[in-house]
Amino acid sequence: MKVTTERFKTIALEELANARTQKFLQILPKTLSARRQAAYASFPDPQAAHRYGAAIRADAVARLPELLERFEKNALDNGAKVFWASDAQAANDYIVNLAHAQGVRYVTKGKSMITEELGLNDQLRDSGIIPWETDLGEFIAQLLDRPPFHIVGPAINIPVEQICDIFMQKGVLDAPTLDPVALGLAARLFLRDKFRDLHMGITGVNIAVADTGTVINVENEGNIRFNKSSARTLVCVMSLEKVVPTMADALHMLRVLCRSATGQSAGAYISMDSGPKKSAEIDGPEELHIIVLDNGRSALYADPQTREALRCIRCGACLNACPVYGKVGGYPYGWAYSGPMGQILTPALRGLADSSDLIRACTLCHRCKTICPAGIDHPELLLYYRAKDVQADPLLKGHGAGSAEQLAHRVFALIAGHVLYWRLLTKGVRMITDRFADGPVIHKIARLAPGWFHSRDLPALARKSFHERWREKEHVTDGGAHAKKGSTLD
Amino acid sequence: MPDTRQSILNRLKAAPSCPVAQRPQMPPFRERSMDAAQLIETFVARVAAQGGVTECISQSALFESMAALLAQEGVTRLMLTPDSLLEPRQWIAWGQTNGIEVMTPSDFPDRTEYTQAVFDRVQAGLTGVDFAVAESGTLVLAHDASQARLVSLAPLLHIAVVPATRIVPVYESAIEKLYTLTRRPSQVTFITGPSMTADIQATPFKGMHGPRKLVVFLLDACAGHQPS
Repeated sequence: MKVTTERFKTIALEELANARTQKFLQILPKTLSARRQAAYASFPDPQAAHRYGAAIRADAVARLPELLERFEKNALDNGAKVFWASDAQAANDYIVNLAHAQGVRYVTKGKSMITEELGLNDQLRDSGIIPWETDLGEFIAQLLDRPPFHIVGPAINIPVEQICDIFMQKGVLDAPTLDPVALGLAARLFLRDKFRDLHMGITGVNIAVADTGTVINVENEGNIRFNKSSARTLVCVMSLEKVVPTMADALHMLRVLCRSATGQSAGAYISMDSGPKKSAEIDGPEELHIIVLDNGRSALYADPQTREALRCIRCGACLNACPVYGKVGGYPYGWAYSGPMGQILTPALRGLADSSDLIRACTLCHRCKTICPAGIDHPELLLYYRAKDVQADPLLKGHGAGSAEQLAHRVFALIAGHVLYWRLLTKGVRMITDRFADGPVIHKIARLAPGWFHSRDLPALARKSFHERWREKEHVTDGGAHAKKGSTLD
Repeated sequence: MPDTRQSILNRLKAAPSCPVAQRPQMPPFRERSMDAAQLIETFVARVAAQGGVTECISQSALFESMAALLAQEGVTRLMLTPDSLLEPRQWIAWGQTNGIEVMTPSDFPDRTEYTQAVFDRVQAGLTGVDFAVAESGTLVLAHDASQARLVSLAPLLHIAVVPATRIVPVYESAIEKLYTLTRRPSQVTFITGPSMTADIQATPFKGMHGPRKLVVFLLDACAGHQPS
């Protein structure tokens, strides 16, 4: 998948003009939010359940190194193989080499954002191995070479006509149909053939359990279960923050994850694997490989603020709550992770070099923070990234402020530090802005800050400042005895 | 690659540790204070909410109800995984007199032939469950030599036989019994309703990859049924 985070604005404008996208965005996020709320109401104390989930994630992130070591030990005891991958290349190489060693010509995959992060499909294809996405939405997105529109419904916005065309073109469908159910069943039959003689399956991991070395996946379709049951070799790729301390913690996270993602009390299938199949079992993987992916996470862990991004459980609830996502959809975010989730993860994992617009596409409304089951403070983190960006932070690869901006802030600091300068400035500004006022608002000030005025108006300034009026009032009421007080803050 | 492992762990350990607030209390669950009848009622309602079907019958009526269901669904070939309530020889004999071909995973000489059969030959999978969880209407299957994974997944119809005594309030009740110091099942599956998707135009339908229909025979759960 091509990374297009630097084209956020361009793609956002396209999507704003796309009638189909807009139609879906009027329905999808609202529906999913309402379902989530209804599902949370099934908790006797929804707030307590929410807080407990956030506490588990906080605990897990704080104790990450210890939990990973414990997870690894138990996974090895279970008979799994554990590979630590420093970056995407190392993880992809491991999988490609494994596929070659097993002599497989194709692999099937469960929906996993982490393999999107790895760009695994491209690597497999380049090595002569065909990757088949098996989640229906991911399957369609893969055939069309599109990034996911929504984490829960990656291709939910794609018109049936387009699905029919691509299915006909790729030999998934024999005769054209526009019936979504018939299209789904055609995909079922097509992928069933892949599952039947499957040698190697690849999935992500929703939760890993330190105490038992177990990897857990949640789904509704059953494709992940096929990957875990039919394949002779199973590869589960987990980003290193997925681990939680105990099975009880995992069970509670499943409750909040399913409710937050799809508004279900449980997804249709939750599978928990502790090692490969035992010799007496007739199905299940003979080999289980667990890849623990770093890809920049251990470096960002050094920063206690950025570290907060690692609490994310990829439920997608923040997408549905976000007013920006609700207008532009998933494509502008340009990578595996969209919405507020993407805005905090992409800069953390890829740096700020291509994410200037991403971290600024936020109104700081705090809705994502309120509903986040992992307890992430997205707006705070976005403000932090913005500060790091203008400070040219080396770890996050910030751009730094331009010389004009730096000069402007220095001049402002000088003026704001002296009462007299400040009074002169406010008087001067008033005189200038008055000339551009159009009734109660200012639409623009000559050629000043066109970007700022592009999407906003400034209210016209009152004729007199608050302090001027205060002084006048005091003169009237007590003869100006306190006229000098408080003037330092004019 | 021990070096990569060590350098990742070293970086994580070198990072400043951040104090974590004390965990709040585990939130309460209604199901923990329910009596048996309430648990059954809750379980049945939650299975239905996820698109599953529950039939409450007495254990003695199991064969009869099964025959009716299979006839209704047009099933003539069935694979079962053994359970204390699903004794293979008994069911194979029953199948012979009822025109149903009943097979088990161990009937096949190797994995390939078993896979062919469970994918293409049988029309239904019949399994027991280790537990049934009231909190979300979930069937819990611990996979081992007698509980093959594909039987509850590959056929379009999954029939589960659940004695009411196996209903537990919450996930924890099941997991505490399945994972012990000496035993970790290679796989545990939570099944809540049939396979489903809404990935095309948000149009929901069942049977995307797994079963289109999930039927739970709940034994001796209703008033009038004698527990066995």
